[in-house]
Amino acid sequence: MRLADWLVLCGSLGFVVLYGLWRGRGSDTVHKYLLAGKTMPWYAMALSIMATQASAVTFISTTGQAYVDGMRFVQFYFGLPLAMVILSATAVPIFHRANVYTAYEYLERRFDARTRALVSVIFLIQRGLALGITLYAPAVVLTVILGWPERVTILIMGAVAVLYTTFGGAKTVAWTDFLQMMVMTAGLLAALIAAVLLLPSGVSFGDVFTLAGAAGRLNAVTLPTDWKDRYNLWSGLIGGMFLALAYFGCDQSQVQRYLSGKSIAQSRLSLLFNGMAKVPMQFFILFIGAVVFVFYIFEKPPLLFQNTELARIQQPALAAEYLPLEQRYDAAFTGRKAAAEQLLQARHTDDSRMWQEGLARYRDAQNAMDTARSQGVGLVARAGGEKGLVDTNYIFLTFVTRHLPAGLVGLVLAVIFGATMAAISAESSSLATVSMVDLYKRHFRRVAPDRHYLNVSRLATVFWGCYAVVTAELARKLGSLVEAVNVLGSFFYGGMLGVFVLAFFFPRARARGAFYGVLAGEAVIFAAYFFTNIAYLWYNVVGCLVVVATGVLISRLERSSAPAV
Amino acid sequence: MTEADKEPDREASREEAPPLLRTWRRLYFVVLAWLALLILLFYLFSRRFTP
Repeated sequence: MRLADWLVLCGSLGFVVLYGLWRGRGSDTVHKYLLAGKTMPWYAMALSIMATQASAVTFISTTGQAYVDGMRFVQFYFGLPLAMVILSATAVPIFHRANVYTAYEYLERRFDARTRALVSVIFLIQRGLALGITLYAPAVVLTVILGWPERVTILIMGAVAVLYTTFGGAKTVAWTDFLQMMVMTAGLLAALIAAVLLLPSGVSFGDVFTLAGAAGRLNAVTLPTDWKDRYNLWSGLIGGMFLALAYFGCDQSQVQRYLSGKSIAQSRLSLLFNGMAKVPMQFFILFIGAVVFVFYIFEKPPLLFQNTELARIQQPALAAEYLPLEQRYDAAFTGRKAAAEQLLQARHTDDSRMWQEGLARYRDAQNAMDTARSQGVGLVARAGGEKGLVDTNYIFLTFVTRHLPAGLVGLVLAVIFGATMAAISAESSSLATVSMVDLYKRHFRRVAPDRHYLNVSRLATVFWGCYAVVTAELARKLGSLVEAVNVLGSFFYGGMLGVFVLAFFFPRARARGAFYGVLAGEAVIFAAYFFTNIAYLWYNVVGCLVVVATGVLISRLERSSAPAV
Repeated sequence: MTEADKEPDREASREEAPPLLRTWRRLYFVVLAWLALLILLFYLFSRRFTP
C-alpha cells in the first residue's frame, strides 16, 4: 500500500460516510429512522438494493470463480429478473398498502401472531448467522494478501458501518449504498481497463476472447448435465428465481430497502432496474476474472494464491515433494504460454491446422497446471493446513496488489471495504427493525411514545453491529465451518418464501396451515441436505413447494372438520 | 409510531402509471424480453468463443 492508495481509500470511504450522514440528518421518528420516511427515489433504492446484495465476497469471489471455472456462474442470476417482475406485481403493492415496517408484520394481518413470530425468528437466525461471515470473509482475505491484522480490519469496517447506521438510519444506509455502488462501478471498470493495458504488447483485446475462450473460461451459458451441477441454464432460471423471490421478497434486509420508496411506482422501478442491470453487471465482473486469467497466461501465477498456505508447503521439510511439483507447474506454464502464442499466430494467419495443434497443446498444458494446483492443495492438507483448500477468493486481490498501479489498489480496496459496509449496514438495520417491530413492540411493550421506540431501534442497531463484530471474531475459530454456516443460511429461504406464497396466492389458506407448513418445509429442506445430493439452489424450490402443499392441505382439513354454521 | 407518522403511507400506496410505456404490464414485458435477449447473446457468445 502506497501513499496514493491510502489517500484514495480513506478519501472515498470518508466522503461516502459523511455524505450518507448528511443525507440522513433529521431521522428523529421511527418512521423516518426505519423507512426513511418513505421518501426515497427509485434510483437511490435501486443502487441500495444492489449494494446490499453485493458483499465484498461477491467481487473477490466472482472474479476468482471466472478464473478457475469460467463465466457460467452468471447463470445463477438468470432467475433474478423473473423474480423482480413477480415481486413488482405482487409483493410491492401488498406491502405498501398494508403500511407495514417489516414483511413479517404483514403475516400477522394475513395469518396470526404465531406465524409472524416464527418467520421473524427464522429471519433473525438466518440473517444473524450471515452477518458475522459478511464481515469476516473479506477481513481474512485482506489479512492474507496485505498482512493487516484481521481484528483491526473487522473492527474498522464494523464500527464505521454501525456508527453511520445508528445515527442516520435507513436514509443514511440507502444514500451511502448509493455512493458505494458508484465507487464499486468505478473501481471495477478501472481494474478491467488496467488488466487489459497490462497484457503484453502483442496481445490485443480481441485476443483475450480467443485465449479465455480456448480455455473454457467464456462458458456463460451451459446446459444441465445432472442435478448436482450447480450452475446451468435451468438451475439458474428456476432455482435462481426461487432464491431471488425469497431474498428480495421475504428477507427484511431487501424488503426494507424498497419499503422506503415514495410510492409503489418508485419501489417497482427500483426492483425492475435491478432486474435489467444485475445480469449484465455480473457478466462484467466475471469477465474481469476471465481477463485476469489471460493476464496470468503471460505472467506466471503462483501455484497457490493463498500465500500463507503456499509458504507452508515451501518449507525445507517438504522440499522432496514440493520441488518436483513446482518444476512440473513451471513446465506446464511455459508450455501453456508457448501454446497461447501459437494460437494467436494461427488466429492472425487464419491457419486452421496450426490452430488445432495449438489448441491441443494449450489444453494439455492447462490440465497439467490444474493438476499441479490440485496436488499443491493435497500437499497443504498433508502438511497440516486447510483440507480441500479453495483459493478462489485470493486470486483477484493477488492480481490487484501485485500488478495494479498506485492509487488503483486503494480504489479496489475501497470497493471491498464499501461493499462490506453496505451489506453490514443494511443487514444490521433490518435485524434491528425486526427485533424492535416484530418482537419488542409486538410482545414486550405494545404502547410507548415514538421516542422510546426510536431509542430501542438505535440500541438494537448497536446490538446487531456488536454482534456482527463478535461473531466475525468467532468465525476465525470456526475455520472451514464458515462454509457450512453459509450453506446453513440458505436452508431457510424456501420455508420463508413458501409462507408468503401461501399468503399472497392462496386466499383460503389459514393460520394453522401456514405455521405447520413452514415447519414441514424446513424439515424437508434439512432432510434434503442430509440424505440427498441435490444442489443447494433447489432447496428453495423444494422448501417452498412443501410449505404451500402442507399449508393448503391443513387448511382444507381444518375447513372440512369445522362445524357448519 | 403515531397515526401522523403513517400519513405519508397513504401517498406511498397510491397506484401510479410507470414513467414510460404507460402500463406496468408493458414494462414487465420489456424486462423479460431483455432477459431473453441477454440469454441468447450469452449463448451465442459462449458458442463463438468456446472452440
